[in-house]
Amino acid sequence: MSTQIIITILILLLLFLLFASGLEIGFSMLLAGFLGYAFLTNFTAALNLVALDVFRVFSSYGYLVIPLFVLMGQIGASAGMARSLYNFAYKLIGHIPGGLAIGTVVAASAFKAICGSSVATAATFAAVAVPEMDRYDYDRRISTGTVATVGTLGVILPPSVVLIIYGILTETSIGKLFLAGILPGILVAFSFVITIYGWSKVNPNLAPRAQRSTWRERITSSLPMIWIIGIFVVVVGGLMIGIFVPTEAGSVGAFAVFFLVALKKELTFKGLVESISSTLGIAGMMLILLAGATVLGHFFAVTRMPFIMADWLSALSVHRLIIMMFIIVVFLIGGSVIEDLAFTVLAVPIFFPLTLKLGFDPLWFGVIVCITNMIGIIIPPMAMNVFVVSGITHVSIGTVYKGCYPYIVGLGICLLIILLFPEISLWLPNLLMK
Amino acid sequence: MKKAVDVIKYLSRSMYWISGTAIAFIVVLTVCDVILRRFRMPISCTYEIVTFVGAIAIALAIPYSTLIGSQISMEFITDKVSGHWQKILYLTTRCLGLGIFIILTWRLFILGNNFKQIGDVTPILEIPMYPVPYIIGIACITECFVLAHSIFLELAKTEDKTIKR
Repeated sequence: MSTQIIITILILLLLFLLFASGLEIGFSMLLAGFLGYAFLTNFTAALNLVALDVFRVFSSYGYLVIPLFVLMGQIGASAGMARSLYNFAYKLIGHIPGGLAIGTVVAASAFKAICGSSVATAATFAAVAVPEMDRYDYDRRISTGTVATVGTLGVILPPSVVLIIYGILTETSIGKLFLAGILPGILVAFSFVITIYGWSKVNPNLAPRAQRSTWRERITSSLPMIWIIGIFVVVVGGLMIGIFVPTEAGSVGAFAVFFLVALKKELTFKGLVESISSTLGIAGMMLILLAGATVLGHFFAVTRMPFIMADWLSALSVHRLIIMMFIIVVFLIGGSVIEDLAFTVLAVPIFFPLTLKLGFDPLWFGVIVCITNMIGIIIPPMAMNVFVVSGITHVSIGTVYKGCYPYIVGLGICLLIILLFPEISLWLPNLLMK
Repeated sequence: MKKAVDVIKYLSRSMYWISGTAIAFIVVLTVCDVILRRFRMPISCTYEIVTFVGAIAIALAIPYSTLIGSQISMEFITDKVSGHWQKILYLTTRCLGLGIFIILTWRLFILGNNFKQIGDVTPILEIPMYPVPYIIGIACITECFVLAHSIFLELAKTEDKTIKR
């Protein structure tokens, strides 16, 4: 075994040791990358690299897209847009079996058009939808499980932060990635609806019907939906036809949401400060993660490990879908142990050369990464959405997990469908952004 | 000790306010540019200003994000060990973090010095680049203070318990 391979294995072991010790994941990647690079080149080169990488990440125009899209979602969340959307969905379909839970899926899918964070979506709907479902005696498994799971739609429906980060890491068009996420996102949302409908048909006591609203009530409550569709069309459409680049799209989206909620007097100054505060916390975390991944990526580039692995695995006489399934399993295991976004930042640069070598489309692989992330967010032991929903609703973690399991089956089926039919994710970007 | 804690909190909060203002400024400037572009009156230096201000916004957000506990870590493993080991692991990881940020501070100031000597500037407005690594370096120093503060706080907890016993 060559020295490079031994050092790579040792550094990877050190990295996981640092993760397990509780050191912040971004800091761990910075340290492991720095030490690995120092071993393979020299100490001074590693010192220069670490500072230059941090400088480049922080002063990159492209990376600014992250805080701007996060800000857009945080303003929408602080202004209570989710409540208006839920109100509309609830009035539209609340009277059918499982209607309030299905309404949560519809409202969360719409809310996702402005909010790129999975955890923020879950937290918002835990506060909005669960009390309403409690009022109609919904079983706690179905109410909390639905809220924790619909939050994951934030990972795939544009403007998804995971898709943005994937685009930055792999130099794939963010506009095309957003388009690639739309149909699979709708497919997943549809699987959630079928799960709820089937579940409440089998056991009607789990999700009793709410009262039917009049058409007048439905139409009057639909206004927020129209606003959000408008903002979504401006942001994604502007990106698509090249009116602005992703960073500008983030600014325009944040401004549009701010303008809307200010116009409707739904945002206080305190709410605005809280939105900016949350944005800075999330941005600080993500940019440190990306800085760590950049340093680690430079270490991997010196070892050439991703390329050696790509050559080795692509030379195996097995079907390329089997290798892709292996990658998916790694993402599922990694994402369930390490925070999903962090694992994506760590693993995408390692596996991306392999997927290219196997002839897979980078847009399609981005969607696959998102769906594995969605599953990882709700399976133990590191299920962020479950923790957040449990914390807000004061329902035990075990109950929330039980509520999530039926949806995982649906997510697994969607993953398989998209794996076998890449056209589902590629059709829209190929049609609109050729 | 209390004074030092107050200073650290004041520093990271000030940075947070600057950072927040910078983000708001970026949004307004970019939107103005996008609108004015439609009327063939673009703000020609937007890209440079946004990059410059963005670097400040992001760098200054780092100590705040650590202070409010936004950084991701795998606590579910450390939660399973005994209190004594939790303390040891916590102190070790804080020291490792401190080490990284001391290195970053040192090298970012060297990078800033190099930019200053070379006279590196942005292409259109010719803004000197050296303040950017300096500002990131200052954010890293504050991050060091935040991490050192958490170490002292943990050690103080131990002393407190010893005295009480």
